[in-house]
Amino acid sequence: MNQYIIKQIFAALIMGAAFLSPLTAWAGSCCGGGAATNLILPKYARGMIDLSFDVEKYDGFWNQNGKWTPDPPGSDLRQYRVNTGYAQRLASRWQTSIVIPYVWNDNIYSGLSSQTNGLGDTSLNLWYEAADDTSAWKIRSIEDLTPSVLIGPSLLLPTGISPYDDVHSSFDVTGRGFYRIDGNLYIDKTLHPWDASLSLSYGTYIERPVNREYGKFVEPYHKKLGDRTSASFSLSYIYYFGTGGDTLTGTASFSYLNEADGTIDGVRDPTSGFRKEAVGGAIAYSSTDHDWSLRASWSHAIRQDGWGENFPTTDIYTLGVRYVFR
Amino acid sequence: MFSVRKCFWLLLLLTLVSCGGMIDDLNPSGSDDRPVVQSGTTGPSVGQNAPDFTLSDTLGNSVTLSSVFPTVQGVVIYFAMWCPICDAHMSNMQSTQIPSFPNVRFYAVDYVSATVADARNAEISNGFLGSGFTVLADTHQTVLGLYQATMGTTVVIDRTGVIRMNEDYKDGSRLQTVLSGLP
Repeated sequence: MNQYIIKQIFAALIMGAAFLSPLTAWAGSCCGGGAATNLILPKYARGMIDLSFDVEKYDGFWNQNGKWTPDPPGSDLRQYRVNTGYAQRLASRWQTSIVIPYVWNDNIYSGLSSQTNGLGDTSLNLWYEAADDTSAWKIRSIEDLTPSVLIGPSLLLPTGISPYDDVHSSFDVTGRGFYRIDGNLYIDKTLHPWDASLSLSYGTYIERPVNREYGKFVEPYHKKLGDRTSASFSLSYIYYFGTGGDTLTGTASFSYLNEADGTIDGVRDPTSGFRKEAVGGAIAYSSTDHDWSLRASWSHAIRQDGWGENFPTTDIYTLGVRYVFR
Repeated sequence: MFSVRKCFWLLLLLTLVSCGGMIDDLNPSGSDDRPVVQSGTTGPSVGQNAPDFTLSDTLGNSVTLSSVFPTVQGVVIYFAMWCPICDAHMSNMQSTQIPSFPNVRFYAVDYVSATVADARNAEISNGFLGSGFTVLADTHQTVLGLYQATMGTTVVIDRTGVIRMNEDYKDGSRLQTVLSGLP
């Protein structure tokens, strides 16, 4: 197999892994809060546009003790998001990306319905490709065991509508209202036709002053959300079909997210931290030249006690399309 | 392909420009912008007389705010939509403020249920039956509007009918301070 094909396959797998990265599982919150996801650019590409559409359906929540509780009778709570992303290669080992979600909240209770929309929080990312995976079909040398390793920071910009904006209801909210800086590590290893990836992230929010809550001016105070830890693991199988090398990649994943308690004027807020665990499945199609690709994924929060704390349980369905510039 | 990229950046720019509300978060203010309130008027702000209302509790009993004052030191009204944040706030109140202030009446206003029966079901399934809260069914969001409230809004009214607090529950420390200062 020549070098070009190896590069192509490697690039496709990185793309596939990026598609299927279960980071989208953290896009929601109980009352809006559309967050962005990460993009990873294929090795050979100069740029990439990614569009995806999420439907997040709420169905109950875990309370602070991890007990799962259903939503009120007659409720149907959903959030829709269109995520627009662009990634650009800066150098052979450096790349950057931006993802901007637009959010629609659609909440129906037995006695109330609300439909609102607005921009979500924007994510800016920078990746350094510390190691490359040659995507071996068979292990022949120690280099064949090398995974691809990407590290880099990301910045969450509070471009969404937050409780601290001039809004009147929690239903209007599409963002958290805080800057957050994350450190990210992404490791991916392929041994055909299998691929495994691990994504780790640790983020801290920047403390900010607050003088308004849901449109009402209040006595000013300083607030900081708790540090955020997330991890996800995925395992994929790549199926080649046709004569030209089209691929279909199926992925199963597990995701973990924890946000510690925040602080108000430096004092810990015991009501604010949360935890969520979710499982996911995805399928991605990539054309022979891997310039176009399509994906569909599903993230599922398990509606049982102990799989989360102080957080809504949701299903997230995603359809996405991606085009790569060479 | 450059035209596709140009379209992307143009679309991005238009989206950002059309969303002016984000400036409040990108450059947050810590100035005290609370409006001056004239005492003796009726309204939702701190220092105003609390708007009176009558709602049904989840057992179908009618509760009128003004009729409660003579018997209690104060009233706390918490606006709940049965979400994780509401659960955390109400549980925190249940373990801290409710036992500490036996002469204060705690109401949870359910503004998302269409009927008293729905509110009753939500109260039970969320584990707040017999919790120390009296759950009121605001089936037409009347009280929600009167107090300009939303999820997590916590209102404290003293025995003279004056509002002492009307803001998000947050960590409960502000509520603790206000209740401790009730005459």
